[in-house]
Amino acid sequence: MSYWKTHIPAGVQDFLPDEYYNKLLMEEKAREIFNKWGYFEIEPPSFEYFDVFSESKPSIEQEQIFKFFEPGNRILVLRPDFTMPIARIVATKLRDEHLPIRLSYIGNIYRYEEFQSGKQREIAQAGVELMGIKGVEADAEVIAMAIETIKSMGLSNFQIDIGQVEFYKGFVEECGLTEEEANKLTSLIDNKNMLALELFLNKLNISDEIKRFLKKLPLLYGDSDMLEEAYSIANNSRSKNAVDNLYTVYEILKDYGLSEYITFDLGMVHSINYYTGIIFRGMTSDIGYPICGGGRYDGLVSEFGYNIPATGFALGIKRLLIALERQKGLSKRPNIDILVVFGEDDREQGYAYIEELRREGKCVEHFLLDRHKVDIKEYAMLKSIGKIINIENGKIEEMII
Amino acid sequence: MITIALAKGRLAKDGLNLFKKAGIRCSDYDKESRKLIFMSDDCRYKFIMVKPSDVPTYVEYGAADVGVVGKDTLLEEGRPLYELLDLKFAKCRLAVAGFENRKNDFITNTSMRVATKYPNIAHNYFTEKGEIVEIIKLNGSVELGPIIGLSDVIVDIVESGRTLKENGLVVLEEICPITARLVVNQVSLKTKRDEINTMLVNLERALEDERND
Repeated sequence: MSYWKTHIPAGVQDFLPDEYYNKLLMEEKAREIFNKWGYFEIEPPSFEYFDVFSESKPSIEQEQIFKFFEPGNRILVLRPDFTMPIARIVATKLRDEHLPIRLSYIGNIYRYEEFQSGKQREIAQAGVELMGIKGVEADAEVIAMAIETIKSMGLSNFQIDIGQVEFYKGFVEECGLTEEEANKLTSLIDNKNMLALELFLNKLNISDEIKRFLKKLPLLYGDSDMLEEAYSIANNSRSKNAVDNLYTVYEILKDYGLSEYITFDLGMVHSINYYTGIIFRGMTSDIGYPICGGGRYDGLVSEFGYNIPATGFALGIKRLLIALERQKGLSKRPNIDILVVFGEDDREQGYAYIEELRREGKCVEHFLLDRHKVDIKEYAMLKSIGKIINIENGKIEEMII
Repeated sequence: MITIALAKGRLAKDGLNLFKKAGIRCSDYDKESRKLIFMSDDCRYKFIMVKPSDVPTYVEYGAADVGVVGKDTLLEEGRPLYELLDLKFAKCRLAVAGFENRKNDFITNTSMRVATKYPNIAHNYFTEKGEIVEIIKLNGSVELGPIIGLSDVIVDIVESGRTLKENGLVVLEEICPITARLVVNQVSLKTKRDEINTMLVNLERALEDERND
């Protein structure tokens, strides 16, 4: 037999019953929270035109997208993201809806990742979009939802790390850097690459004050006390406003009763061409990668011709499953409650009996093997079935295990 | 508990020395031992000994919170890690080396052949210069490349230059200086913030003391 016939490609997986049960459970929890908060679920197609994802400020690199061609030879892609299709839908099909619009999704995205670092190429996500409204309460709402969703899944010991890209942009604006210099600077700060940052800054023709600040930026992380320091070193109104925004969001999250989950990192500046304000990541010490991510991307929907602000987040279901397993929080898949055994003569009565049990909500297996040749009790034991009902000559009897 | 991945060999020895100066002692360590895990005396730090090129992997996955590894390995692996401290030891440089008298031979070559343990670094370096090269990945004794005629030049780390000299090679181009770095997992820095920050402060103080000596 061919090797390829019995193997699956790198980056995808088969979910077997024990894991899939937990995955579904997790997705149900997310769905429940999303619905209760008024974020109704939608589903964009699994593949779309490449153009949807190739806007002027791409958040996903072209190399990461699975592409193929439709007969007319336009490029199609497996969706690498839910946010952009949803922005397209809102801009083209939901224009008559009153703002704000609240939507959610649960499904797979596809990204061509170098999976040497444990990344999957088919990624299960659950997330929300809050479109058509600006403001701190909208920012806080999605963060609060992210926390409530993760909590409902049974995860403990996690935190949401919040940044504000405007804080950094305020300083970069002052420097007058070229695009190339700004990109390099951003990546050095985002990776907290302290030495390379220092060397790079020394080469730049910017004021010593801004250099001192930028050198400090990667270290501006911690709890809310750090914000005071950030405010004091911000020398421009754009950056000061960013800290104000964070303060207020924090105050609102206090009123939600969720401030214990919040930390800050003003050096979190990945994808700053995409994000326009708050940016956040969820993490737990049980897994080395973020378990969720989100923020504000006010420029996104206007890429589709509808100029409204937007914010949202996405959870990585697989990473949450791994974290939950490490916290010993996975649920056990339920077993079959009752095994029902009968022969041909009792068939009509047998099916009626099974039907009744199932209507009561029991999980019932009809024993299909030869009851005279197979040890039924042993079979039930191997399958962890706790109860056997035997029907013979019209008599219903429990078989004692 | 903080787990620290050390690159086996001299980096581990120098690294543990620095940790000792920063108040993190590991009397348990014995470089002759085949043990792969050592606990610090106060049992708050766990050191694991791994192959240098595996340090970034352990840290990226979060299997280790912190790693001590050469900048050459970091450049080659290119993984998303926080690179917080220059530890100053294990100084060397990355360079292109070859035969002096053939320095200009490959100007006419459409595709220069480069033998190296660092295919990604070599690729990035030459691409940035706009040169198309053929990269030949080797796992050791890279100097043999030009001597035997497998390659035109090599890209490798150069410490004193003695190995090159003994093989009749010279440094043709400097790529960048290298030292050992302290890298931290992006999640651990936040979820174990206080412990890691304390360690960072102590290490910085130890580095400062070294500089003043």
